[in-house]
Amino acid sequence: MSSQQKITDSPIEFAVEIINDVKNSKDEGVLKCVQCGMCTSTCPAARHSDYNPREIIERVLDGDETILEDDNIWNCFYCYTCHSVCPVGNSVCEVNQILKQIAIENEMGYEKLYEYMGFADSYFTAAIGAIPEIFFTDIDRDVPGWWDFRQHLDEIRNELELDPPLMPSDDVIDEVSKILTITGFKAKIEKIRASQEGDNEEHSR
Amino acid sequence: MRDDLKVGVFLCECGGNIADIVDLDKVRQELDVEFVGQFENLCSLNGRKIIRDAIFDHDLDRVVVAACSPISHEKTFQDYVKPLNPYLMDMANIREQCSWVHDDKQKATAKAITLINASIEKVKQSDSVDPIYCQTPDEVAVIGGGIAGMNAALSLAKQGIKVTLIEQSPSIGGHMAKIGKVFSPVKIAEECGMCLLNPILNELVWNENICVLTNTKVIEAERRAGTYNLILEKSPRYVDTEKCIACGKCAEACEVEVPNDWNDNLSTRKAIYRPFGQSYPESYVIDMDNCTKCSNCVKACTMKAIKLRGKPERIPLQVGSIIVATGHKLFDMDKRPEYGYTRYDDVITQSELGRITGVNGPTKGKLLKSNGEVPKRVVMIQCVGSRDEKPDGHRYCSKICCTVALKNANIIKHKYPDTDVLICYTDIRTPGMFEKYYKHTQENEVRFMRGRPGEVVKKGDNFIVRTEDTLKGEFVEIEADMVVLSTAMEPSEGTKEIAEILNVGTTEDGFIKESHPKIKPIATDVQGIFVCGTAHDPKDITDSIMQATAAAAKVSEYNYGGVEIEPFIAEIDTEKCTVCGECIARCKYKSMSIQNDEIYIDPMSCTGCGKCLVGCKQMAIHVNGNIDEKILATIKGVLSKKQDGERMILVFLDNIGYTAADNIGVNRLKYPESIHIIKVISVNRVSPKHIHYALDNGADGVFIGEFPGDLMYDEVERKIQGVKDRISEMGENPDRITFSKVYIPYFSGLARKLTDFDKKIEELDEAEL
Repeated sequence: MSSQQKITDSPIEFAVEIINDVKNSKDEGVLKCVQCGMCTSTCPAARHSDYNPREIIERVLDGDETILEDDNIWNCFYCYTCHSVCPVGNSVCEVNQILKQIAIENEMGYEKLYEYMGFADSYFTAAIGAIPEIFFTDIDRDVPGWWDFRQHLDEIRNELELDPPLMPSDDVIDEVSKILTITGFKAKIEKIRASQEGDNEEHSR
Repeated sequence: MRDDLKVGVFLCECGGNIADIVDLDKVRQELDVEFVGQFENLCSLNGRKIIRDAIFDHDLDRVVVAACSPISHEKTFQDYVKPLNPYLMDMANIREQCSWVHDDKQKATAKAITLINASIEKVKQSDSVDPIYCQTPDEVAVIGGGIAGMNAALSLAKQGIKVTLIEQSPSIGGHMAKIGKVFSPVKIAEECGMCLLNPILNELVWNENICVLTNTKVIEAERRAGTYNLILEKSPRYVDTEKCIACGKCAEACEVEVPNDWNDNLSTRKAIYRPFGQSYPESYVIDMDNCTKCSNCVKACTMKAIKLRGKPERIPLQVGSIIVATGHKLFDMDKRPEYGYTRYDDVITQSELGRITGVNGPTKGKLLKSNGEVPKRVVMIQCVGSRDEKPDGHRYCSKICCTVALKNANIIKHKYPDTDVLICYTDIRTPGMFEKYYKHTQENEVRFMRGRPGEVVKKGDNFIVRTEDTLKGEFVEIEADMVVLSTAMEPSEGTKEIAEILNVGTTEDGFIKESHPKIKPIATDVQGIFVCGTAHDPKDITDSIMQATAAAAKVSEYNYGGVEIEPFIAEIDTEKCTVCGECIARCKYKSMSIQNDEIYIDPMSCTGCGKCLVGCKQMAIHVNGNIDEKILATIKGVLSKKQDGERMILVFLDNIGYTAADNIGVNRLKYPESIHIIKVISVNRVSPKHIHYALDNGADGVFIGEFPGDLMYDEVERKIQGVKDRISEMGENPDRITFSKVYIPYFSGLARKLTDFDKKIEELDEAEL
């Protein structure tokens, strides 16, 4: 593979845009990256997928905006290990979040977000972020005994003489729902849902 | 009276450096003095003649040289004004701070006239003062008995200087004694470190000018007139070095076994022990923390050298100069648990690998794992604690770890060609000739992987080193049965302690700071104290020896020449002084002490900052050289010909700030013509009175800059805040005064600050119109 850098190209602009994003807490960390790969060596997503935090920074510094369309950026689950191990004080995790946000603003990655709609819904139904049911089978496979544990949680708590878990009351749920509606969260969720379910309808037609 | 003084002004064209921008004809017309001379190069010997002739012919009392910066040529012109007293000459800096920073000829000319007028007013307030010469005692204390301290001591001793070499451990030799093999980049081979160290050690031991004190620490230091009075504490050895013949019968009899720190705790030793085979003094020593006082050793000793009782001894030592060679320690691996060092025996450091491969080490040179087998694959991890901004990490590169890893990898490959050695690196740093050794290592089939491992975990019998092969962009899990960590070098505890005791500056990383990293890499910020070896920064043996011998040369220079001191320092009127001690408490430079029931001021450490003046109820202190009046006169001079609508900003800088300001000119950056820089010996001498006067008499703004490393920084900052408060009480705008940090290297920042301040003052002026 070869590429050309024209005299008028300014690859650093993409990195500067990300550094200036309000989400970035690490100042110039991105620019100080020496590509040592320590982030990748500790990244759980890198171990199990083609996600590579080092490469994220490499491509950002190269001004490679195609990274926004890369499916791999959706494999980071915000464990913040890269954030805590980086020897130059960078945070790929934050950069990843900024990239995803830019992607969403450009109407990319809706199909990825769609998988997490259950989280969004739980804010409206319970005023907390709960694990969507579609993940239950996966979790039970990864953590043997988890489903059983969850089924019997009340009994286990009882046995340990713990009170039932404290859940938000109905008026709290109402209030949170209102906030999420007024702030435009709900509209966003509906837009994403419509884009995906609309597609499905088209397919089914 | 002073107004009648005959002043001569000499204008230097500086070959055009000045004359091309400043209209010197116009300057001549504007000056109202006894005599004005002009020459193309005043600093030349012809310049000397012009100045001297004019002084005689016109009977001049004072001289102003309008030329370059006093930093460049003050000494030259102080000499050229003979027979006048050197302090009756002042320099107007119309090059670095005028022709080099301004483009507009008319404005630059007007500014040059202002600067010269300021100098004229200032020099009229100057009095004759004699420079102070201080001769320092020749004796030297070298603190630290490693390779750097040993070489410094030996070099001084060979020049006939008496040296006391102070080492806190029971033997001299330092890290080099335990390093095992060493290599030099030119010789593509590793050789025995001890064999190179031993001749130096022997030479040192037999040199009559050197007194070696082991088990000894400096616990107090006080400085008077170039003499350091040190108090040393010598811990008891419990074995008489005169009687002990190092036969070892005592250790055989001793039943206490403790980890042997000289072998990085990889083996054990007795409570009575000799640190290592060639240790000096050639004698055993008792580790009292572990001794049970069973007396078996006492009974076994045929020389009757052992005494189980002993007390630390305090030893006073007077020296003229000090070389700090207190060395480094290695990064504490407790801080990086992800590499499993504390959990697994076969995760070791390069230092431990050095002991293991050393023939005098715990395995007699055999590379063995803790289970006694030869490892199949050794993975080395570079930059552990170096180049690391994480908490407890070091931002700097420890400089030697790449080559240390290469050396140890080669040593393994020579003896165990079947053992796979893989070095995980971020960058291999082998500058200069070391690159050849890197190539040699590659030829030896040592493997390299570019990637910084994140963790080491145990899996079955082996370790898994998790890393990314960054050249392939691939996550890898490397199986290994031995992991070697290349740990960072950091300042030793002794280095940190001695910095505090001697009051020498340290870097943000805790190393001893040199007085200038480029051109004064051996002197510290305290006169008469020099640094060498790894107390200064990470370096290898060769560099340590070079710096050590350079430090010895610097001490020689210092001993030979004595020290010339600017005479603008505090003086005590003993008639008025009640020896209340208030000034001693106030002095940040520890210059004051009581000697023979009188306050004594050390001329070498006094900076003339004037802090003691304020606290003296008896008004018994004054600072030589009419400093208050000179500052006031300079301000008057600058403001005397202020034009309508002209903006005047006064900038007060001490020697450091002034040098930074000169650097703006040297690098041809610009700042506005309104900026007028006034050099003061300490910004603490700029009093509220001066600032009020300036603002009342036409100054639009006052900028005070101070180097944050100066001991008076906080004090001055507080004071300026006080002045601002008072200014605003009087109905003036406190924003017209600013206090700012100034750094010599950050001259571009100073240029920007001056420009910003000018803009702010312009806005204030407009708002108040």
